[in-house]
Amino acid sequence: MKDQIQLINDAINKTKENLKESSFNFIFWGLLIAILSFFHYSFPEIVQKHVYSTMLYWVLIPVLGMITTILYNVKKQKKVGYETYISRALKIIWGVFNISWIVLIFVSLEKKINPTESILFLLGVMILITGLLIRFKPFSFGGVSVVTCSILCVYTPNNSWLLLNGIAAILGLLVPGIALYYRKSNV
Amino acid sequence: MFNPLDKILVNPIRLMITSVLVKVESCDFNFLKQLTQTTQGNLSVQLKKLKESGYISIDKSFEKNYPKTNCKITKAGIKAFEDHFENLKKYQNLNLK
Repeated sequence: MKDQIQLINDAINKTKENLKESSFNFIFWGLLIAILSFFHYSFPEIVQKHVYSTMLYWVLIPVLGMITTILYNVKKQKKVGYETYISRALKIIWGVFNISWIVLIFVSLEKKINPTESILFLLGVMILITGLLIRFKPFSFGGVSVVTCSILCVYTPNNSWLLLNGIAAILGLLVPGIALYYRKSNV
Repeated sequence: MFNPLDKILVNPIRLMITSVLVKVESCDFNFLKQLTQTTQGNLSVQLKKLKESGYISIDKSFEKNYPKTNCKITKAGIKAFEDHFENLKKYQNLNLK
């Protein structure tokens, strides 16, 4: 009987939740959005050269980023050989965000409004849910910071929303991503 | 009151497979092979027995011309595992007395 219980224990312990590898996604997106935002803020004459250049800049590069992260995650999943309930929940949350983000861009273009506030708000909520799900405070704080930035964006004049966008990416994605990478214990 | 142990789960390989599947959403054949340290043939036989008992579901597909087997536990499998584990604990407590 003792052997059987030991066997169950050993088998269960071999499927640890490995969230450290997921930190790549957050670090990658944190860096990418921060760089895009600060570059746009510093050199608006390059990014806003043509009518569609801003749209291409903010859609094409993130879509390429999405492809990169999807390929990375598929490869990681194959290597691990199993999918935990938390990793499935995270996959659904961020999959929904990816679709919603594209829909928000489309709606904003049709209505000729800046989509930053809505996208940041949605991103903040997703980060907060992630933090609560994996029980990791840096993500919960990051999510709240991004939601705060989305509200501040409403009252920001001219191109200053780009600075807030960059700060939100650092506080909500980059910092929690690095904290997750250096986290000692897994869930 | 002691219930007899589940004949399907008494087998160590099948018990290991079920234990892992209770914890994860899904699991592939290669991971189970690595976990159980058994041969491909034996693992296939044990998976078939678990499937026939209704404890797991098996999804077979092809990926880059290679067959891919993915396993998931069913509700009946979770119930059987929980009952088996409870019975094991009862027997263990009896042995300790």
